[in-house]
This record gives sequence, C-alpha cells and structure tokens, in this order.
Amino acid sequence: MNKISSIIIIPVLLFSACMDVGEKVYDKYSASEFYATPEGTASALAGVYAQIPGNWGGVGYAGADNGWYDLNCMTTDEQVIPHRNTGDWQLDFARLHQRQWLPADGINANAWNWLYRSVFLANLAVEQLENAGAEPTSIAEARVLRAFFYYLLMDAYGNVPLYDSNDIPVNEIQQANRSDVFDFVSSELENYIEDLSTSKGGQYYGRFTRWAGHALLAKVYLNAEVYTGTAMWEKCLEQIEKLESGGFSLHPASNDPSHPLGNTYYNLFGDRCPDDETILAIYTQLDVVGRNILTVRSLRGADGNLLIGASAWNGSVVPQGYVEKFSDNDIRKRQFRFGNTPYGPRPAGFMVYELEISNLDNPGADPLAGARNIKFWPAAPVNSGGASNDFPIFRYADILLMKAECLIRTGNPQQAKTYVDQIRERAGLDALTENPTLEDVYEERGFELSWEGHRRQDMIRFGTFTQANGFIPAVDDTYLLFPIPTHALNTNPNLNQNPGW
Amino acid sequence: MKKKYRFKNFQVKWPIFLWMLALSCSQIHGSFAQNQNNYSGTVKDSLNEPIPGVSIVIKGTTIGTVSDLDGSFNLPVRSDSDILVFSFIGYVTQEIPAQNNSIINIELLEDMVGLEEMVVIGYGTAQRKDLTGAASNITSENFNRGAITNPLQQIAGRAAGVNITQVGSEPGTNPSVRIRGITSLIGGNDPLVVVDGIQGNMDLLNQIPTAEIESIDILKDASATAIYGSRGAAGVIIVSTKKSKAGVSTIEYTGTTSVDVLANRLEMLSAEEWRRQANLWGVPASADFASNTDWYNILTQQGMTNNHTVSLGGGTENFNYRASIAAILQDGVVINSGNSNYIANIQATQSALEGRLKLSFSLNNSIRNNQGSPGNIGRASFTSNLISNAFVSRPTDPVFFEDGNYFSDQNVFHYINPYAVAQTVINESETVNQFGSLKADFEIIEGLNINWFGSWRKINHNSGYFAPVSSTIPSAIDQNGIANVSNNRTDEKLTNLSLNYQKDLGHHSFNAIGVYEWQRQTYQGSFAQSKGFINDLTSYHALQLGSIDRHLPGDISSYKNDRTLISILGRINYNYNDRYLFTASMRRDGSSVFGAGNKWGNFPSVSAAWRLSEEKFLNGFQAVSDLKFRVGYGITGNQQGLYPQQSLQLVNASGTTYFGESLINNYVVSQNANPDLMWETRHQTNIGIDFSLFNHKIGGTIDVFSATTNNLLFHYSVPQPPFPYGSMAANIGSVLNEGIEVSLNYSLLENKDWSIMLAGNFSLLRNEVLSLSGSLNGVELVTNNVGWGMNSFLIEGYPIGTFFILENDGKEAGTNEERVVDRNGDGIIDQGNFSEDRYIAGSALPTYTAAFTPKIRYKRFHLDMVWRASGGNKIYNRIRRDFSMYETLGISNLLQSAENLGLFTTQYASDLWLEDGDFIRLDNLTLSYDLMNLNSRWFKSSVVSITGNNLLLFTKYSGLDPELNASGGSGTGMDFGIYPRTRSIALSLQFSF
Repeated sequence: MNKISSIIIIPVLLFSACMDVGEKVYDKYSASEFYATPEGTASALAGVYAQIPGNWGGVGYAGADNGWYDLNCMTTDEQVIPHRNTGDWQLDFARLHQRQWLPADGINANAWNWLYRSVFLANLAVEQLENAGAEPTSIAEARVLRAFFYYLLMDAYGNVPLYDSNDIPVNEIQQANRSDVFDFVSSELENYIEDLSTSKGGQYYGRFTRWAGHALLAKVYLNAEVYTGTAMWEKCLEQIEKLESGGFSLHPASNDPSHPLGNTYYNLFGDRCPDDETILAIYTQLDVVGRNILTVRSLRGADGNLLIGASAWNGSVVPQGYVEKFSDNDIRKRQFRFGNTPYGPRPAGFMVYELEISNLDNPGADPLAGARNIKFWPAAPVNSGGASNDFPIFRYADILLMKAECLIRTGNPQQAKTYVDQIRERAGLDALTENPTLEDVYEERGFELSWEGHRRQDMIRFGTFTQANGFIPAVDDTYLLFPIPTHALNTNPNLNQNPGW
Repeated sequence: MKKKYRFKNFQVKWPIFLWMLALSCSQIHGSFAQNQNNYSGTVKDSLNEPIPGVSIVIKGTTIGTVSDLDGSFNLPVRSDSDILVFSFIGYVTQEIPAQNNSIINIELLEDMVGLEEMVVIGYGTAQRKDLTGAASNITSENFNRGAITNPLQQIAGRAAGVNITQVGSEPGTNPSVRIRGITSLIGGNDPLVVVDGIQGNMDLLNQIPTAEIESIDILKDASATAIYGSRGAAGVIIVSTKKSKAGVSTIEYTGTTSVDVLANRLEMLSAEEWRRQANLWGVPASADFASNTDWYNILTQQGMTNNHTVSLGGGTENFNYRASIAAILQDGVVINSGNSNYIANIQATQSALEGRLKLSFSLNNSIRNNQGSPGNIGRASFTSNLISNAFVSRPTDPVFFEDGNYFSDQNVFHYINPYAVAQTVINESETVNQFGSLKADFEIIEGLNINWFGSWRKINHNSGYFAPVSSTIPSAIDQNGIANVSNNRTDEKLTNLSLNYQKDLGHHSFNAIGVYEWQRQTYQGSFAQSKGFINDLTSYHALQLGSIDRHLPGDISSYKNDRTLISILGRINYNYNDRYLFTASMRRDGSSVFGAGNKWGNFPSVSAAWRLSEEKFLNGFQAVSDLKFRVGYGITGNQQGLYPQQSLQLVNASGTTYFGESLINNYVVSQNANPDLMWETRHQTNIGIDFSLFNHKIGGTIDVFSATTNNLLFHYSVPQPPFPYGSMAANIGSVLNEGIEVSLNYSLLENKDWSIMLAGNFSLLRNEVLSLSGSLNGVELVTNNVGWGMNSFLIEGYPIGTFFILENDGKEAGTNEERVVDRNGDGIIDQGNFSEDRYIAGSALPTYTAAFTPKIRYKRFHLDMVWRASGGNKIYNRIRRDFSMYETLGISNLLQSAENLGLFTTQYASDLWLEDGDFIRLDNLTLSYDLMNLNSRWFKSSVVSITGNNLLLFTKYSGLDPELNASGGSGTGMDFGIYPRTRSIALSLQFSF
C-alpha cells in the first residue's frame, strides 16, 4: 500500500514542484497581512499625517514647491516668482500670478493628485482602524483628516468626486456638488470632533486635536457662503467658542536679540511652533520629514550663503504694493528684506534688494528686484534644499481675526474691536481708534498671516481675488475655482470641468 | 635558416600525428574491416588555394578525417560504393562517389548565397534550405571589423529588419537592437539572447569575446521564435561561438587598436560672441567673468579602443576544447571616462559510449570595470550627461578661481562647473559575470536522443560614487560630500530536458522534439550612502567616515525579487522529398509575474515552405537555381518586460514621518495592484520567398510580415480618485507592426583575381497604436494621447511616439517671444495632451532602414563597406531649443544658430525644434590584406586590415548625431544631449597558427 501510494504521490509532488510558478515577495509586506497587525493599523493613521509636510514632487500642504501651497499663494497679492532677466526661473509661477493658468499645468495636477492620494490613505486608515476596533480618538482623527482634505478640495476645485471607501468601483465615483462636499465635510466634523483628544502639544503636536477640529470646522463655516451660497457666520462663531475652551493665547512678542529678527514673535515660525498659540502645525525636519524652502527660495544665491549658510534660489518675492501697506512700526514688517538697511543681519557684502519689480516675465525682473521674505528664518538643519521650520496650519491669531470678521458680519463691530486690537498690539501697533471694518480685518489678515497659505481663500471671501492688483489683472469669476486637471478629466468620463474652463 | 627548417619539419609531422591519433580512435570504435587501400587527394578553393580543416566523411558512417594544411587528406577505403562527403563552413558541401577512385582532388565552391548553411533555430539546427520561418544568418567572415566592443556592432547593417542603434560612443555602453519594430510599451522589446544554449538578456553579449563568435542567427518571425515562447516575442539572437575541429590544433590572435576622435561638435558662442550678445540683450555685466574658456574642448580628448583576443583549441574525434582570453579596453573621448572588459572562456566536448553520449561543458568569466562620465547632472532647468553641461557653461566663465579652486557662480541657481565634476567625481563600477553550462546528449536508439542542459549565470555588479564639495555640485556642497556604494546581484538558472526523434522514411523525413524547461532569475542587492566628510581622501571606500548626523532614510536599502518561468514545448518538422516542408510548434509557458489565475499561456505556431526549384516543372528554367516560398503564423508572449510583484497589493517603506512625538517609519501602499495581469501576446504572420538565380549569381530573400500585439501591457492612466497613483499596469490596448524586408546580393564578378559582391538590404516598417482604451474590471478607461516624451505621444491610429505638436508662427515683434499658431482659433494656446492647437507632425520611429554592404576582392586585398541609412522619423532637438533662448544668455551659453532665430523666450515646445532624422552613414570601410600562406609556414592564416568607422555622415539633422534613442520607450526620438559619437581609425591583425 505504502509503495503504491508513494508511486503515485512522489511523481505528483515532483510534477507540481516542476510546474510551480507562484510569486514570492521578499522585500515588501503584503498589504492584507500588514494591515492586520496592530503596527500596521497604527501606521495607517500615521501614513495619512505623512501626507501633510511639503516635499519634492509637489506633495504636501506647505513647505516645498510646485504643490498646493504655490497654487494658493502665487495666485495672490502676497507672493510671486518673477522670471529673471538673467535667465532664471520658468514662467509657471508668474503665470499663476497673472491669472494665466491652464488645466494641464503641473502645479495644478500635483495639488489634485496629492489631495486625492491623501483621501485614499485616509479612507484606508478609517477602514483599518474601524475593522481593528481602534480607539474612537484614532478613528475620529482619520475621519477628520479626510474631511480636511475634502475641505481643501472643495476650496480649490468646487465640485469634486466624493468617495469614502476605497472598495468602490471606479465608475460609481460621482462628481459631487460643492454644497454636497460641504455637507459631507461639515457633518463628518460635527460628528467626530468631540471624539478627538483634548491634549495640546506633546504626543498630539502636529495632529488633529479637538481644538484643531473646531478650527477646521470654523474655517468651513467661515467660507460657507462661498461654498454653498448660504452664510454661516453664527456657526463659525459657535466653533470658535468651543475652541476657546482649549485655552489658547497669543504668543508674546518681546525683544529677543538672539533671534536674527529681534523678536520672540518670530518663534511662531521657527523650529517648533509654540503650543500657546499654535492649534495645528506641520512638523518639519529637513530631508527627514518634509522641508521648509520658504526663505531659501526667496533669497538670492550668494546672499543665502552669507545670511543662512546655504546657496539660495532667488525665487519668491513680495509684490511692492503688499509690502507698502505695512506700517514701519509693525514688527511683522521685519519679515521683508529690502533696501540698504534691512532688519536683521547685515554681513559685509549682503545684497540690497529693491522693492520695485519692473517686470514679471519678459524680459523678466532684475536679479535683485523684489522684497524677500524671511519670516521663516531658517531653523537648522539648513541647506540649499530648505530648512527645518515647522509650519502653522491653524493658529490662534487667525482664529481671533475670524472671530472679529464674523462679529462684524453679524453686526457686532464693537465686539470685534478687541480681537483686532489684540493682534495689532502684539505687533507693536496702536489699538484702532474706531470699530473695525471688514476691510480692516482683511488688511490685518494680510499683515498677520502673510505666506501662511490663507490668502487666496481670504481674497475670494472678501471679493478681491478677481480685482486688478499690481501685476494681477481683473478677471471674471471663472478664476474663483481652479480647473480640474486635464489628466483627471481624461481618465474619468464622469467628471465635468468647472464652468469657464 | 636552421631554425626555420626544424620548425617546418615539426609542422609536417604534427598533423600526421594527429591524423594517426584520429585514425587509431576510429579503429578502436569503427566497425569497418581493416583495409588495404586509402583515398587521398587535396581540397582546394576556387582560387586554387588549399583549404585546411575540411571535414571528409564516408557517407552513412562515422569514418572521416579533416584536410591538413596543404588541403590534403587520407582516408581508408571501406567499400566500392563509398561516397565521400566534403564539408566546410562557408563552402558548398559536395558528395563525391569514390568508386575505387583513390585519388580525389576536388574544388570546393564558396557558398555564395548561403542557402546551404546550417542555421540555429532554437533547441536544434536546420539547414537553411529547410527553414520555414524568417531568420537571418551572419557568419564571422561577414562581420564588420574595426573598433568593435560588442558583438552587435559586428552585424550592424547586415540583416534586414534588424535595427541596431548606437547612441554616442560612451565606453561600455551597448547598442540597442530592435527586431521588426516596437512590439511592447512596457519593455520587453529587447530580443532574447542565446549563446550556445544559454539564454539571457542583452547584457549576456558583453560576455562573449567578439573574435570568438562563429555566427549569429537572428530569428524574426513568430513561427521561428515561438519555440522560445514568451521570451521570443521581440525576436531571438542566437550566438554560436567557434568550436575546435577534430584534428586541428590552433592558436589564434585577433587584435584591433583604434584611435577615436570627435566626429562632430555643436557650434556654440565663443567668449567674444557671448559678450557681444550679452551687451545686445541687456545681460547685467556682473554675469561676465572676463575669461575665455572652450568648455567642450577641455572636456574632450582623443580616445582609444583596444580589443585583443587570444584563443587556443584542438581536439581529437572524441574530445575537443577551446579556450580564449579577451581584453576590450576603451578610453573615451570625454575625459575620465573609460571601460575595460576582460573575458576568459573555456569549453570542452567529450563523447563516450561509442559516440552515443556527448557531454559539452563551458565556463566563462568576465570582469568589466567602468569609469563613467556622470549622467543626469546639471541645473534644475537642464539636466543631462556631463558633456552636455559643457553647452551650459558660459564661455566667459573661468575654469578656476584665482586661488586655484574650481570656479562656481553662487548667484546662478545650481551652478555646476563641468570640468570640476569630470575631475573630482568618482563614478565607477565593476561587473563580474560568470556562467557555466553543461549539456549531455545521449542517443537512446538510432534517431532518438535525450538531452539535458543546465546553465547558471551570476552577475555581480558593484558600483561606487563619490562627489566631493570641490565638484561644485550643489547637493555635494550641501551635504559636505556624498558617497555611496551599491551592490546588485543577478542569478539566472536554467535547466531543460528534451527528447528529440528523427526519422527518414523514403521521401518522408520527420523531426520531433519535446522539451521541459525551468528558469529562474533572482535579483537582489543593497545600497548604502554616507554624507558629510571632513576631507576627500577616502572617496567612497569608507562610508563610516561620513557624519552620522546626515544619515537619512533612503541612505540604506536592499531588495530582492525573482521571476520563474516554466515551459513545456514541442515541435514537429516534416519534410517531403525536400520539397514540402512543415513545422508546427506548441509552447505552454507559466510565469510568476502575472495574477494568480493568469500565469499560464499557450503559444502555438505553424509554418510551411515549398521549394519550387525542386519541382519538375521548373527543371526547364535554368535561370532558377533555388526558389522557396514560406508562410508562417505564430503567437508569442511577453512577460520579461513586466517588473515582478505588480499583481499584488504591497506595502513598502516611504521615508519617515512624525507621529506621537517621535520620528517613525512611514509605510505606504506601494502601487496600484492589478490582480488580473496576464500575458501580452503577439500574433505574427510572415510570408517569405528565398531565391537564387543564374547559378547563384543573384540571390535574395523577401519577407512580408504583420504582427499585432494584443493585451498590451502598459502603465495605463487610471482615475485619481480612487486610485492612489495615476497609472496601473494592465492589459488593454494593442499595437500593430507591419513591414517588408528585402535582402539582395549580386555576384558581379568572380574570377581568380577579382571578386565583386554587391549586397544590401532594405526594410520598411509601419507601426500603429491600434488601441489604448478599453475596459478595466468592467470600467471604461479612456487612455489616449499619452505623453511619450516631449511632444511625442501614444495616439490611437498613429505610430508609437507620434509628434503631436504646436506649430511655430515666428515670433512677436518687440518681445521676441515665440508665437505659435492658434489652430482652433479660440484665442488660447492649449498645451494639453488633447489640445486642438496641436497637429500630427510625424513620428519618432524610423519608417525605413537600409544598408549597402559591398565586398570587393582583388587578389589578396579585400575592401568591405557598410553603408547604413535610416529615416522617415522626426527628432525633437531639445538641445537646440534649450540653447537658443536669449532669456538664458545671462546664465548659459547659446548656439551660434540662436542669433538667426533671435528668440528671447518661449512658452511652448513647438515644431520649430522638430527635425528630420534621415541619414546615410558610411559606417564601416575596411581594407584588408590576406597574408595567407606567405613563404613562412608558421601561420595558417593571417590578415591585416585597416578600418574607418563613421567616416561619412549625410544628414540634415543639426544636432550632434541623428542616431538617438530608438528603443521605442518613452523619450524615443528626443535629443537631450548625447555622449559624442566618435570617428575612428582602427588597425587589426589576425593570426592563426
């Protein structure tokens, strides 16, 4: 019997070994096995946060180039990269500034792809955490992160595909109306913010706490009129009130000779965003976790070597009109570097930048034209690929100005005054003599939040985005939304381009 | 005198000794009766020169001998009806009935048309006259000579439909070869290479001493390649190395030394011209560093190529061996670039059991050292190879600062000094290749053989890179020096077991073979990088001396993946009366790289041939010497181009992230997995005719083929959302290649003093992307106008790499900005992939290739030429665009031709930079003198030759060289800056003694 069976079995075994073409994976994890482990589940959430720091390839919220940040900043009055008459810099950034962008532009596609990859990873995290029965805080974090990305998509593109499970067949993903996306984002946040942790800093530095959740939802309601046609100032105020129980305060501004810009105010943009004012920050460590190129990109080559010890790019500058609005007493004006006696270090041979920019594209600006921004004075390590400054996504100064705005818009300018004054006084300015107007708040937001990624949203909400301004020509409302990238349209016949594009 | 005499004496005795040895062996194993009489005589060629080494066998027996140096032979008589068969490669085999005629002097005719030669067809050989598929065969006497570093260079222009392209002359780089066009988009367009049974990728060719190759066979159509199944879709190159012959002992030396110079250079602005233009265009004076540097000149030099091979071999009837050592040494025309390749090879064959068992054994080792000119460097706006950065550097920039350091201008973004890079960056690699194979062939009964073959190849590729601060490369400055090493190992194992049966029954003759084959290729390796060195002394040899603070994720990594291919195949050849020939083959392949349910594919083929010249009704036509019609159809598959693991959802490391107050590893889903991945299949039909007329004076082959690749593997664009990545490997579209190939030769003159042979080939090729869109898991994918390089696209209905481009419309007066035509008149210049402002302006793929290879002999002088032509394609001259814009004058040099254009800037990549790629090149001109049988008898043969390579080039293309990336992959037909192509003069010596 044994013999007979071995006569049968051995050839069968031999044959199956001879015919085995199964695939073995040696150097990666199988996704299903990996996410079934507790480490895998935990990493699913961390993996969504990993999307936020800016890096090469146009990914991330802020800190690097060619992505969401450039799309939202170069299109405003606060920042532009001119082509130089020495031949430096392609025209992509000047074209963003001059309202000449097109659906096929790389920066536009990068922003879209980054956002939707983030949504995919957030969906994955929600699913993995729920399947694993994770802590409600973690599940809430994943859901709020997803809402955050949809908020950015809604803000930039309006009507966008909405899906919350990666298992959905491609053809069932439909383009949602901007107001439907708004409903999804606001209801997810309403439902899950309360599950978030109330910790500040520490373990929760760089993560969505309950306070960051309220800040996000306040932003959503602040712009509700733009998104849905219906203003929701009261709801915004409601979220701000909840946020205030988190105990935030403005970071004190005092003289600090150890800082190149001489004031502790600039610690808000330093190596680590202080917990007193910062609600949500991006942790950055050059070449390890993201990068912050903002100052390196701004200074000119050899001036970078002199000032910050790294060859700089001679890129972003601040349009003259924007700089000139700042009062000379304003400590926030120190972020601009121009003229013979700029604030900050003046080593021998430092470069004298000129405020005036004669031309953005042809023949381009002179090499030294344009004020530079050194608000994010580089935190070590620094090299020509950037620095390690953290980046504030939401901070309390922003919230106070939002509160002032809502109060004015709901007919309570007298209540709003104190909040605007707090901001002004910290900056070394006098309190307002009269109740603030909407324009005061708009300008104050410009002074306080320059280069922090809020300007396009603010300009749209205040109706200035389509108006002529310096090199920016007046345009129609088409430009209030970015076009859906050509690649996305081509691959998904369910999508319709935004009106006018 | 005495010495010479003694040697002569020895020379006479030596073949006799071998002959006696052979004879004694025959006597031991032979079955014939001891006999009194011998056949003897001499074998000579048409020039009355003796031919040594001709095999003379009594038909139907194993009794035989070979001719000696005088062409004479001696063979015992067996019976009255003995027929002697005289055969020698390159000559027409003759059968002479002996009929007691004991003195037989014969003249062997050179095989002018090659219809009789043996062709290697995959798992066997066939006589050319019996072939039913399309194949080209090039034997060593037709190989190109000169500065040869790779076997493919020896056959460039020699086979119709086989396009061999050399891009520049960078030491250590290999030509690319495309057989019958671009069949796949994902890769896998490289043909399979088979060297004496060992299968491999193109790099296997680097391991073969060029002088040791006897013949190269190229299988082109599916009925010929289907036997190689999945690996044969893009054609098969079969290399047969020289084997020693029984009774002949040889030492051969082949050596070539060539001097290589720049064939062409671009006309850039001189310092003076740059200065004048800078003033004109308002470049700030601060950009002028008041120097005068010819960057291209200081980065180039006279190159040199050496190729030396010594081989020895010998054998008896039951044993033969051959061993060779080769050195291929190149000093490039760009400073500090070079390559050396040393190859040692030994093979031996032993037969036993009365000749029924034959064991063949081979071992090969090669060590290749490469000193590479750094590639992919430059500023953000222009990255290319090192030498092309010479175009960027302003002629007014000095090479050195006054303090002796390399010059660098910190105010130019990412400035690099190419001379500093060439002198300070170390970029070297060593590749050790080894293979061994063993083949055992046993005749079970007459006509039935069992054969086992096993081969094992190992490749160890180690490379080291060091960029010090002094290199001026920005990242090296930032990191205070960067050093890295990488080690890559490849292990390729193959084994097969085959059963072969051959039977002749009157007019019917059968040959059947069945094979089981298993192969696995394993790839693994590691990478380590270190940064922050306090000095440059240790290069990349001491990574531990870097600074630990600068260690980042990605600085160390390792990988391993493999692919397994299992095949069962069979083939039947049937031959009726040498007139009707049929071949049918079937191969079933399983590959590990596909989705779980789709690993196996079937690849059948059928073909037939009709030798009309054997028919009675053509007997009256004396003009027709040989005529054969062939028709074949077959299916082949592609899996080699597909990277493993793409059917699986995997998680990989992706840098570091900050979470929970600490830096932790980040993991990410690494790709859009497609569990449905399956075989890409190519269906090919071939119709051919082989003819030979007027007593073989005119001969030729014409083939017409059509091949459709279905289930086209490609990284298709998928919608984002929901996919996390923009593309996914899938089987959707299809691509068509169809063409016609003509090879002709004409023996114009053939007599004792003169021989003139005109030969040439011509192929037309049409490529079309039939479809790219289709259904993926039931979802319609709209994939069209996929970018394939700057302005070149994959567009349904057009060839791969079609230029779909904006039309230049001069420039704006005043601003000197380029203007393009708004073709749809909507006031917006849309640069999207579907833009109506674009138009179809030709394709990156050549539509015709041609070669003319005349051979002229006068007495002992031979003149060989290879003229090659190719065209019908367009080239996007990115170099000309980059160096024609005055906006960059302040930071870059420009072409002299920029002045006529007078363009300041452009937002577009228009057809202004699109040029015709047609060219005719005198690729090779060789004059050789055959010293055979000089008064000395030391040498069996010796040839001296002088070769000029790339002597003439006729083209309208304005760049360095019109022969550019023709791989068919993304970037085909773009000129991003190439390593210069050289013109070389080579002196070769060939001795055999």
